[in-house]
Amino acid sequence: MKRYIIDIWAAATTILGGMGITLVHLFRAKNDNVTLQYPEERWPRPDRNIGFDHSNYNVIRSRLHVDMDDCIGCLKCERACPVDCIKIETEKVPNRGEDIKEIGHVGVTSNGSRKAMVVTRFDIDMTECCYCNLCTYPCPEECIFMTGGPNSDKHPIDYEFSEPNRNDLIYRFAKPGSREGMAKIISEQKAEV
Amino acid sequence: MGVVHGQEMVLNIGPQHPATHGVLRLQVKTDGEVVSEITPYLGYLHRCFEKHCENVTYEQVIPYTDRCDYLASMTNNFGYVVAVEALMDIKVNDRVEHIRVIMAELQRIASHLLGLGAFGLDVGAFTPFLHMLRDRERILDLFEMTCGARLLYNYMWVGGLSHDLPVGFVESTYNFLDYFEPKIDEFVNLLVHNKIFVERTADIGRMPQEVAVSYGVTGPNLRASGVKWDLRKNDPYSIYKSFEFDVPVGEGGKGSVGDCWDRFYVRVLEMKESIKILRQALASLPKEGDIHQSIPKKIRPPKGTIYKRTESPRGDLGYYIESDGTNIPYRLKMRSPAFTALSVIDEIAAGWLLSDVLAILGSLDIVLGEIDR
Ligand code: SF4
Ligand code: SF4
Repeated sequence: MKRYIIDIWAAATTILGGMGITLVHLFRAKNDNVTLQYPEERWPRPDRNIGFDHSNYNVIRSRLHVDMDDCIGCLKCERACPVDCIKIETEKVPNRGEDIKEIGHVGVTSNGSRKAMVVTRFDIDMTECCYCNLCTYPCPEECIFMTGGPNSDKHPIDYEFSEPNRNDLIYRFAKPGSREGMAKIISEQKAEV
Repeated sequence: MGVVHGQEMVLNIGPQHPATHGVLRLQVKTDGEVVSEITPYLGYLHRCFEKHCENVTYEQVIPYTDRCDYLASMTNNFGYVVAVEALMDIKVNDRVEHIRVIMAELQRIASHLLGLGAFGLDVGAFTPFLHMLRDRERILDLFEMTCGARLLYNYMWVGGLSHDLPVGFVESTYNFLDYFEPKIDEFVNLLVHNKIFVERTADIGRMPQEVAVSYGVTGPNLRASGVKWDLRKNDPYSIYKSFEFDVPVGEGGKGSVGDCWDRFYVRVLEMKESIKILRQALASLPKEGDIHQSIPKKIRPPKGTIYKRTESPRGDLGYYIESDGTNIPYRLKMRSPAFTALSVIDEIAAGWLLSDVLAILGSLDIVLGEIDR
């Protein structure tokens, strides 16, 4: 009998203790609020103040972006990717470092390297990407990066890129028409020879 | 069970069931409410981790290790890089070691928070789960600040780290610790001494010391059975030797040693120890030191094999790596602590009621991503 009463007493007090904590939180709710009305409000991203040379750092995980004008087609990012979701095809340019107007190819990167390759296909399948960031480190031109990172003022963060169609998540960065354009140029070259 | 046999019924729990913490199927033989035999069926989450690793380079394995124990990715990275570094004989500088320990201990707290919350959820306590997730978010914010990712970090690299600590990280971590330390007592009040919770867990699913040892159970589950075994103390890796902390063991505070309540409480105490380590590591964090200093140009370990184990939040996480001198591992085997923890379930849960089985499963704190790999 004594045991029974003690048990009830313990149950009542411990539950009241828990209720007390809940009550305290009820009145603290204003400044301890964690629920956000998502599409209207967004959780602030933590401050990414690295404090030193930004260019080596890409502390963000979001959608990948490639600046095609800077890409030299070295395939380093393709090799670094653990899931092989980057697909690159290249063609040799006729004259190294020269623009090819027809397909919008820029001959020299913003770092001053003269391109030897035209990238005719640069697809990233974001459905396969695991956001490991491994592709962004080896790039010699720093032209593949995750949007919103320190070296992409042009590209604000984009982590809401859901699509109704799966194929729309394959991002094609190569200049449109560059494959056909290159094929034509090459066949013209052959004809000349 | 006893002599009287009613009609036995075979019941499937899972694969899609909120109490199985992932996709796990438990085939349970029940006699009324009493469970006589439990057979776990695995493989619903099998992703060929080990086979994948034989096809990608050593750097590219790291994102895959992230996805094994997805609640404690930092410690998975940690175990792997420690193993490769031992194989290649790389010494990393003091700053890197400190940052790694800080990350691993933060991850331990985060993982325990989720484990404890989910355990509470399994026995019907919903509020503590929300409290714990709220605090876990703060740790994930710290991680996001450091490497941009909240769950799967790819942060520790062979020979270093991907990023240095951002400005303000140390202060933010101190702020978090100051905020979090009193919160632990709040959890204790909410759940640990709560009579309903105690009734559901004390004396339930007792794991005797011999059973735990013979099944190879490690980590908090083993310590709850009263075995003082922690690789950070018993086989120190990294710089754990230089920190002072205790190894909490189960003492049977509410029931007997090694029951569900003990497994819960040991984790609570471990979070306190992690805070101790964190404070020491933050205080002694060297200001100087290049985190990319010892990253090798090419990771090509010499021919040979290595087995290295580290203490992940779930226990003894081992990596066996066989290298044939190329940049791709010839064989990589992972010893997962959650797997051994699950293997013991038939031993400790048989004879209990059906609802207790779920409490026992929750108290083992398994992660299916790591069991199936
Ligand atoms: S982030 Fe990782 S998975 Fe995604 S494309 Fe880059 S290397 Fe591949
Ligand atoms: S590493 Fe950079 S330059 Fe090279 S192919 Fe990839 S995006 Fe282009």
